[in-house]
Amino acid sequence: MELIQQAYDVLMTTGVLILAALIILSIIRSILGPGISDRIIAVNMIGTMVIMITAIFSVWMDENYLADVCLIYAMISFLGVVVLCKVYTGVYLQRKHMKADLGAIEDNLSKQGVEMSEEKEVQP
Amino acid sequence: MTGAWIRFAAAAACMILGLVFMISAVFGVNRFRHALNRMHAAALGDTLGILFVILSLIIMRGFSMDSLKLSMVIVFFWIASPVSGHMISRLEAMTDERLGEISILEKNNGIRVTMEDAPSKIKETPDKKKKRGGKGR
Repeated sequence: MELIQQAYDVLMTTGVLILAALIILSIIRSILGPGISDRIIAVNMIGTMVIMITAIFSVWMDENYLADVCLIYAMISFLGVVVLCKVYTGVYLQRKHMKADLGAIEDNLSKQGVEMSEEKEVQP
Repeated sequence: MTGAWIRFAAAAACMILGLVFMISAVFGVNRFRHALNRMHAAALGDTLGILFVILSLIIMRGFSMDSLKLSMVIVFFWIASPVSGHMISRLEAMTDERLGEISILEKNNGIRVTMEDAPSKIKETPDKKKKRGGKGR
């Protein structure tokens, strides 16, 4: 009975250590990632691995409430990803509209005559 | 006693399989180049990785209220992960303005071409020019 307990301890320790190393690797990817969606993907994976570690701890330390923590963490992680996607879609569209408005203003100025464009050249 | 060892062997096999899936998912996320390919790799860990790890925990614990809660985590993840993947892919498709370009030649020359320009640009690559020159001589 002692031996099998030690075997379970070794299994869970190995799992938690490997998952911790993988979390560090995906933190590196979330810092390096060129686009915003790469970062969101890496953060989503970090959430998944934190849920797995919490589930392993709930069995290892024989604490029942950590399973509830897992469920709530999964829900909040999902909510965070959805909100981040919505927010960055809005930010991208706003920047695009702002660029389009600036282009329209410049077109108007160039249509109005030479004087305006000369003033514009002086300003910068 | 042997029953306990068989249970341990099943739990260890499931845990190792789940860890292998997670390792390959993180490897793919770090290795692929574009965000949609990275999403393909990350979905592997979101579904099969968490399935096998929590299945091994359920085998360790036996059937009880705790293992029911852990299986609820799997059910929730299998519902929520495709939805979040869809949101991320929509963000990527909206944000990336070079999405329709194919990148076969990126490995050799660093050229990204559109689908219409592909045949002409492939002819213009330096390797093929060198080969043609060699034939001409």
